This record gives sequence, C-alpha cells and structure tokens, in this order.
Amino acid sequence: MAYQAKDRITSIQTAVILANTMLGAGILTLPRTVAEKTGTPDGWISVIIGGFLAIAAGLIMVMLSKPFRGKTFYEYIGQITGKWLGSLISLIVVGYFCLIASFEIRVLAEVADFFLLEGTPSWAIIMVFMWVSLYLVTGGINAIARLFEIILPITIFVFVIVTFFGITLFDVDNLRPVLGQGVMPVLNGVKTTAITFTGFEAILIIIAFMHRPEKASKAVIVGTSIPLMIYIITVVMVIGSLSVDGVVTRTWPTLDLVRSVEIEGLIFERFESFLLVIWIMQIYSTFTMTYYAASLGLSQMSKRNLNGFLYGLLPVVFLMANIPKNLAGVFRMGDFIGNLSLYLFGAMPLLLLAISKLRGHKGEGISRK
Amino acid sequence: MYGSLSSNLQKVRAITARHSDVNIREFSIAGSSVGAAIIYADGLADKDMIDQHILKVLMNDVGEETITCSILTNKVLTVSQITITHEIEEIIRKVLTGQTALLVDGMSEMLIIGTMLSKSRSIEEPISEALVRGPRTGFNETLSDNTALLRRHGENASLSMIAMKVGKRASKDLIIAYMEDIADSDIVEEVKRRVSKIDIDNLPESGYVEQLIEDNFLSPFPQVQSTERPDRVIAALMEGRVAILLDGTPFALIVPVTFSMLLQSPEDYYERWMSGSLLRVLRFAAALISLLTPSLYISFISFHPGLIPTKLAVSIMATRVGVPFSSLVEALIMEIAIEILREAGLRLPKPIGPAMGIVGGLIIGEAAVQAGIVSPILVIVVAVTAISSFTIPQYSVGIALRMLRFIAMFCAAAFGLYGVILFFLMLCVHVVKLKSFGVPYASPAVPYRLNDWKDFILRMPLTMMKRRPKMLKTKDKVRKG
Amino acid sequence: MLISAAILFLQTGCWSKDEIEDLSIYIGMALDIGEQSKVEKELEKQGAGYARKKTMTFTIQIINELKGGKGEKTPAAEQKAYINVSETGDSIFEMIREFSTRMERPVIGHHLKVIVVNEKLARRKRMDQLLDFFLRDNDIRPSAVVFISKSKASHTLETQSSTVVPAFRLLGITDNQYRSLKIMSPVTLAKLEGKMHAGMSYVLQNVVSAKGEVAFSGAAVIKGSSQKLIGFLNEKELVGLMLLSGQGKGGQIKAYHEERGEVISYEIKKLESKINAIVKNGKVTFEVEIETTGRVMEEWTPSELEINEAFTKQTEAAVKEEIEKLVLSTLAKLQDKYKTDVAGFGQRLRIQHPKVWEPMKKDWDEEFSQIPVTIHIKSKITEYGATSRR
Repeated sequence: MAYQAKDRITSIQTAVILANTMLGAGILTLPRTVAEKTGTPDGWISVIIGGFLAIAAGLIMVMLSKPFRGKTFYEYIGQITGKWLGSLISLIVVGYFCLIASFEIRVLAEVADFFLLEGTPSWAIIMVFMWVSLYLVTGGINAIARLFEIILPITIFVFVIVTFFGITLFDVDNLRPVLGQGVMPVLNGVKTTAITFTGFEAILIIIAFMHRPEKASKAVIVGTSIPLMIYIITVVMVIGSLSVDGVVTRTWPTLDLVRSVEIEGLIFERFESFLLVIWIMQIYSTFTMTYYAASLGLSQMSKRNLNGFLYGLLPVVFLMANIPKNLAGVFRMGDFIGNLSLYLFGAMPLLLLAISKLRGHKGEGISRK
Repeated sequence: MYGSLSSNLQKVRAITARHSDVNIREFSIAGSSVGAAIIYADGLADKDMIDQHILKVLMNDVGEETITCSILTNKVLTVSQITITHEIEEIIRKVLTGQTALLVDGMSEMLIIGTMLSKSRSIEEPISEALVRGPRTGFNETLSDNTALLRRHGENASLSMIAMKVGKRASKDLIIAYMEDIADSDIVEEVKRRVSKIDIDNLPESGYVEQLIEDNFLSPFPQVQSTERPDRVIAALMEGRVAILLDGTPFALIVPVTFSMLLQSPEDYYERWMSGSLLRVLRFAAALISLLTPSLYISFISFHPGLIPTKLAVSIMATRVGVPFSSLVEALIMEIAIEILREAGLRLPKPIGPAMGIVGGLIIGEAAVQAGIVSPILVIVVAVTAISSFTIPQYSVGIALRMLRFIAMFCAAAFGLYGVILFFLMLCVHVVKLKSFGVPYASPAVPYRLNDWKDFILRMPLTMMKRRPKMLKTKDKVRKG
Repeated sequence: MLISAAILFLQTGCWSKDEIEDLSIYIGMALDIGEQSKVEKELEKQGAGYARKKTMTFTIQIINELKGGKGEKTPAAEQKAYINVSETGDSIFEMIREFSTRMERPVIGHHLKVIVVNEKLARRKRMDQLLDFFLRDNDIRPSAVVFISKSKASHTLETQSSTVVPAFRLLGITDNQYRSLKIMSPVTLAKLEGKMHAGMSYVLQNVVSAKGEVAFSGAAVIKGSSQKLIGFLNEKELVGLMLLSGQGKGGQIKAYHEERGEVISYEIKKLESKINAIVKNGKVTFEVEIETTGRVMEEWTPSELEINEAFTKQTEAAVKEEIEKLVLSTLAKLQDKYKTDVAGFGQRLRIQHPKVWEPMKKDWDEEFSQIPVTIHIKSKITEYGATSRR
C-alpha cells in the first residue's frame, strides 16, 4: 500500500532533515525575540539551554518510538493510548504541522514583500512556492532527504561567509557583562529559544524511515547541534553588533545586521541577497517537511494514498496562511505554534512514554518477532 | 526445394529485380561442367575474394567429378565463413549484407560465403571530444573495430560483450559491454532488459538507443553519456558502468550516468591531481555561471536595484539610459542572437565557422550597443555566459544548460531573485528525483558518500582513490593495482 | 496549467518590476529647517502645494546617470555629476513621495549613503523622530552614515567640480580615519538605533561647508534623554574624545619641546585606552589608562640636540602632556558643560559592575558629571623616522 513507509534513509540524512526542519523563519527574528525576553545580552546562553532542551525532547521521542520499529507516530499512537484518543492526538499533530507550514509561508510572503518583491501579491509568492514544494514531496522521503542534503551545506557555507563579513560591526562590549543580571533573565529567554527549535518533532515521523533506527539518538543530537550552532552564531553576531537596545526595536534584526555591512571592492558589496537566498531555502525545507508530515499523517490515519492528501492539503495550508491579518498577527501565530509545541512535544511524549512503559511495549519486539 | 539452377535463378531474379546492385554470375565448374552461379551485391562484397577464393578455385582447380555440398565446403572453397541454407529469401537477405551466395545446379543446398567487404574509416582522433592529453584514438563506424579497440586496451578476460539485435526492419548489431566481475549484475540486467524492449524499425545512430532506454524523457538532462573515446569507455567500465555500442556509429553510450560525470573530462585523470581538480572546479563554476548569470542580471536590474553595489548601479544606469527594452527582452534578444550565431557557426564549413562566430558576435554586439538597443553590460553578461557554456566537456549537457538558462530568465523576469531561487530549488528537486538505471542522478553529491567525493568536484590523487564509486554497487569494491 | 502559467507570467510583468534606468537613486540627504527653494516657491505660486507645516526642508542628491558612463557621448562637460532637489514639509516620507509628482523617475533609497542634519534642526527636533523614517523604510539600509552640519546641511552636498559627487566625498573622508584623530568612525543608522533606544548620549561628526568645499570639524553632542543637540566639541576636544574612548585608529599629535618650544609632531601608530570603573563603598570612580606608541615624524628642535634616552624621555613627556591636556579639556567639557557621557564610561560601568549600573542607568548623564575620573597616560616613541642624526 502506498501509505506505508517503503523508502529508507540513512542516519546522516535523518540528522540533515532534522536540522533543515528546525532552521526556519526563526533565524531572522530570534535575536529580537530573545533580547525582548531577556533584556540582557545573555540571550545566547538561553539559546544553548533551549537547544539542549530540544535535544532532550528529541531523545524522549526516540525512546518513545523505539518499541515500534518502522512505524510512524501516527501508526503506533493508537497502540499506546487506544484507538480513539490516538486518532485525536494524531489529528492534533497533523493540524500542528499544517500550522507550521502555513506559518512558514506566511513569514516568507511577508519578508519577500518587504525586502524583495514589493507589490507582488502574496498569493502569487505563496503559490509558486507551494508548487515547487509539491513537486518535491511527490518524490517521497528519499527525494526530500537528498534535496535537504544539498540545501544544508549551501546554507552553512553562505551563512558562515555572511556572518564573517558582519564581524566588522561586531563589538564584544555589546555582549558583556555575561550574566550581569543573574540567571533569571536567561531563564526568561529559554522558552522563546526552545520554541525556535520546533521542528525536532519531525523525528517522530522520519524515524520510521530510518535504515538503522538504533542510531536515531545520534541523529537527533547531531541534527539539533547544527541549528544550535547557527542560532548561537546568529544571536551572538546580531546582538554583538547592534546591541540589545538596537535589536529589540528591529523587526528583522538578522537582516538588519547584514544590511548594515557594506564592503566595497568586492563584486557584491551587499550580502542580504545571500542571506535571503539561504533563508528562503530553509523556509522551503521546513515547509516541505512539515507539509509532508501532515499529509503522511492523514494518509496513514485514513489508510489512503498519500498523493491525494498532498494535493488536497495545499489549499488548506494556503488558507491557514492567510488567517493572520497583519505582521503582529503572524508573530502571535508563531508564539501560538511554539506554545502548542511545548505541550505537544515537550510534555506529551513523556506522558506517552510512561504509558507505553506501563503497557509493556518492549524494545523492537514487534517487527523482529 | 529442388536443385534446378535455372529455376532458382529465376526466383532470385524475380526478387532482385528491385535490387539493381545485386549481380548474378553464371559459370560452370571445372571438371564436371556443372552449371553454377554466384550472387553478390556490388560494392558490399569483396570482389577480390570472390575472384580468388570462389571463382578461381571452382573454375580452375576442382578435380572431382561429382559436386556435393560437403566436397565444396571441405575441399574446394578456401573461405573461413560458410553457411548452408535452403531458403531463397535468406539468400537475398545475406547477399544484401555483402555475403555471396553460391548456387550449384542439382544441389539442394545453397552456400552463403562470407565475403563482406569491410570498408571502415581509419581510426582517427575524435572531433567532438578533443583533448590536450590522452590517446588519439576514437571509435569509428564499424562495430568490430570498436570492440577491438576496447579489447586492445589490455588483457582482460572479464570484459564481457553481449551481442544483441535491434531494429525491427533494418536490423543492427548492438553490443553491451561490461566487466563481469565488477559491474553490478542488477544494472547489467536492467540494461539488457531495456535494450531488448527497444521497439523501433530503424536505428540510424546510438542517439535513438539513448532516447529509447533513458529513464525520464521529460528531463532536460542527458541520462546516458555518449562518447567517441575508447579510453573513456574503458574508464567507465572499470568503474562498474555498462557501455552500449551500436554498429554504424562512433558514439558509444555509457550508463548509468550521474550528474557529476557530465562535468568531468578524461583529462582530469591524465593531468596531475591539482590541475585536474582545479579544472573541475572551474567547470562547475562555469556551469553555474552559464546557467544563472543572465537571470541574475535580469532580477537585479529589474527588481532589486538595491542589492547591487552603488557604484555598479550608477554605471549600469548610465549604460542603460536610452535602452528601449526591458532587461528581459534585451537579454532575450542577445541570448537568442548568440545561440543563432553558435548554431550557424556549427553548420558552416569548418574553416568559415569559427571566423563567422567571432565576427558575427563582435559586430552584432558592438552594433547593438552603438544603436542603443542593448547595454554594454548585457553584452558582457551574454559573452561570459556563452563562453562559460563552452567549457562544459559534453555537448548535450551544454545544450541542457542553455535551455534551462532561458527558463531561469523567465523565472527571474516574473519574480526576480525569488524566482531565481525557486528555479534553482526546482532544478535541484528535479535532479534529486531523477535516476539513471537505478542510480540516483544526484550522486555522489547526495546522499553523502565521503568516499565518492574524492572524485567529485575535486579529483583526489590517484593513490587516494583506492575504491570504486560506491553508488554503482560494484561487485569488486577495490581498484586493484 | 500551461496556459494559466503563461497568463500568470504576463500578469506578473507589472507587479514588482521597475527597470533600474527608470529609477532615480539618491545617495545623500540633507535635512534643514524649513526654507523653500526658489523652484518650490515658483511651483507653489502656480498652485502646487498641499497641507503641511513648513518645518523642514530636505534635499536629496540624485546621481546624474547621464554623466556616469559612455565617455564620448556626454554632450555637456560642465554638467555636474549629481542633481540636488529640495522639498519642504513636515513628513519626510510625504516629501519623498512628493518627488513622484515632480520627476519622471521615482526616487529609491536603496543607495542612501549619508544623511546630514542641520544643527538648528537638531536642536529643535528629536533625533529619533528625525531618523524614524530612515530606520523604518524597507529600501534604506542601516549602513547610511549620519552627520551634523553647522552650516546649511544642503550646502555640504554641493560642489563646484563636475566630477565630484559630494555624498561620496563625505563618505570618502570618513575612510581617512587612520590618518587623523579628528575623524570619528562613521556613525551608521544601525549603531544609532541602539543608542537612541537606550537613551544614551552620543556624538556625531560635524561637517562644515563653504563654497562647495567641506571640512570635518569636531563633533556635535546629542543628549540621550532629550535626543536633541546640546552643543559641539571643537576639533581639539574631538581629538581628546578619540583618545579618551580609544576610538582613534591613528593620527598625529603636535607637541612643543619643553625647553625650546619647538614643534614636535608625533604620529600615533597604536592607541589603547582602557576605562576602569571602580566601585568602593558604593562610590563610583573611573580610571582611564591611555597608552600610545608611535614615532616622531617632524621635529624642529635644533640639530645640536642629540637623540638619546634623555631626549626621548623629554619628547615622550611632551607628547604625554599634550595628550593629557587634550583629554582633560574634553572631559571638563563633557562633565561640566554638557553633563553627558559620550565616551563610553557608562558602558564600562555596565559591564564591570552591572548591579551598580542598574539603578544609575536612568539618570546616567547627570550621575556621570559628578563622578571623579583619573587619567594615566603612557606615550612611547619607538623611532624617529628615516632621519637619523649623528
């Protein structure tokens, strides 16, 4: 049957998918959201803590999935909670993934409209984007994994270069003092930073495709470390260059950092185009993965062909993306997603894991017989 | 079938009335004076051989009184290849391939004697794939010569050549070559399956085979590599790939193909690794340039004047003042003009072609700028694009990139940089989904295989390339001494 | 599908497309107090005009693209490389859009490099209000540099020469920072944003102009709490500030020989300045350590004086004294006259004693003026250039 997982991916690919799913819209706004919450230059510590929390949550999900080798979350949730509750949770998760997907394209539309294509209607921007994404998801998890493998090195390479040029503005005084106001501000920021790592929950789905699921924990750690590094560098560079006070008032602080740098003599004096390129690619990957996860969920719950849902869900996501009325609404939507993810993938897996242990689902017994 | 010569000849004549090049020569065999006739095709059969080994022995030297089939084949005819048949139709078919039929009165068997005249071009350096360093041999149009070139490369018993017939009406020989102990048998079987499924009446060139066995005919990328160079074929075979040779064309096909192969040249391996790597990097860069430059020009000029350096923006503005067209139209005019020039240069006789390309390019470019139709910056962009596309060693890839370039230009004209990014993503998605005979087209770039990267954008020293590409799932993983 | 794609494509042609030659890029902008230009007055007489308070006049400098390239084709050699146009009103955005009614090519701000604000305007209006548009706009980059001008701001964007673009000239001068201590490192919008939002005081380079020539002359002090210009540092005081804050990248100090009174010119190769905030019994004091190394590039002392240890000591002392004089005079002006901290003392306190800083942060400029500052200076001479005597 078409809805079952036939394709297999390597553990490296798992890590890459996770990293790409986590890197998303947040990279442009994270310095501001963190600085707003902490009020001190210590945001980068919050990012580290948030990253470790994300890794911990990811590992819990891996443990949760362990007894159900080769099965996605949607397929085994029923075995833990019972059929009806399981379907309900699956539906919520599907809705959650749809929400992320629509949030990502909405942010994309906002940024594209502001910095790239003033005047082009956002439906056109979103529509072509969704077509290109649809073309990828019809190729299945293997195509997704391979494309992500192309995107990730480009992202890291360009990102390092762009931030490297930003170093001319960097002033370490803006990051000092470390923990000047104690730990409380840092802890205030942790929730915000943890939210930017949303996307790690993709492991619930892709673990089913892994060649060797026993390596999933490693993939989670590696996969989370990459965005963690990128987020740390972003926060350090942006706050270090623009100062906390300069960051909190900027809507897209990371872009502002890059726009503040001009290096004459190079062919490219301005680097925001590069940043926008990799950022759009990252939005693309997050959108594609969450969209795939949502469609896969529906297909596995209904035991119908995946393709129908791939096409059918597009208008839904498109409409959802148009719900927020203004940019503030978009950011509120982002916060909502973050909070949802905290409950859904921070607290719930622990609960499920406990139930699963009580019910006595033991490691890998099911498919190996 | 009865053995009357005259009635047989009558039948033959009836059929060959349409074949003006088929000749019938009647004579009587010495000693017994039995009537006989040979049938051969003018130009296809080797007349010297007919004279020396058929007519001379039969008309002079035969001592036997009775002529039977076995006497002729065993004692008289000094020819290596003789087959016996009873069918007139088969005689005609064979005669038309250059063999000679011998009919003897009163004998029911008819002999078909192998007298094919092989008129083949001598082995020359391939024109389409010129190298600075490397063997100066290229395939020619004769299949046996080509297989011999492969065999002659070195003593290697595992080089297998499977012969197949293709073409329903004009049947042709086709050979599938691979290394028995290296190539993945799944791939070999897949090639055999696809070749045997070819259903067409005529195959003038291996390009037909290519198009009939490729995975995705909608893709702009060639999924089969064609080459005139035996060294290239040998190298591919040694990596575990499969070659397909068709009679009548110097172009051999290599499968499976991966994206990185398209930008590689045998020379990368003949030169030392540093220069080889450097040239490869250059070619990758050139491919990107030729693919994206015009579209980036359009998107920056028409959409994002803020993303180019101020001074550059000022000078571009100055050069574009008075240009009546939008950047897309302007770029299209020049790109199409240069494509026409290139095509014209290709069709013209060799001595004129390049000259006309240069002159045409220079004059049109200069005049267009003078007339204020296009801006000088665009002329630079177009020239750089064109030159970059010529560095790509494979003609078919160059064409693919040129086509894609136009699509990229339209994307840029619609959505600026955003369109170019989406175009690039689309292209990546396409490449990632594409497979060539079960091997992912995007390998070895993705999925990550560190070992295969030694021979990807960089060409590592030969001593470091101890293993065969993993993506081909070879039986023998190590390149032995 | 194909047809819809084709239609889409045809449609999109007119969405965001704007060919570069159909735009005017402005690279400099000057803000003055409201005073209409002749053209404007004439236009208004003809009936052009809209509801506005004529509080500001702003001038944008547009690149004259006809002048840019195509050497032999340019008909008018006397034509200037730029065009300045002015508009008066009370909203910068409104004034910019007003140009759309006056010029066939709309102006775009992607390449805005310098913003010059007139002194009088800066005294009347808050800086964060004046610059609000620039920080909000999606075209203008935060890399634009802000200047203050004692003269009419639009005059700094003028020149007699036909090849010089005044906005580029201003930007080019800031690049000479390594040669003179009188040039501050350029203050970009990006850097201003943080300071304005934090309510910190800061200085902006002052530019004066005469007959199409410009000169950097000292700096203007903007008070953080009011965001208004409160006074100027003259060139000497600016040098003192550069030494105090360690911002200087290099430059020249002129001292006089102790006994003879002859000129000794000292080139700073390396400048280090460290501000230490010391908190004792709840009282804050600052210690500044300034260390310079450099060489003597010009000295008029009579040649019978030998260059030896003693002479070097003497010279070093002279240089030190000069630096001390500069720094102290600056400090006096900042603490006593302007009562503002523009040298980064507050930053050091924040970093070194965040707990002490927190309550003082709000009224820092006032607090700062009461805090004692001690200064230690070390000047080293490493060489005497290519001339060696005896």
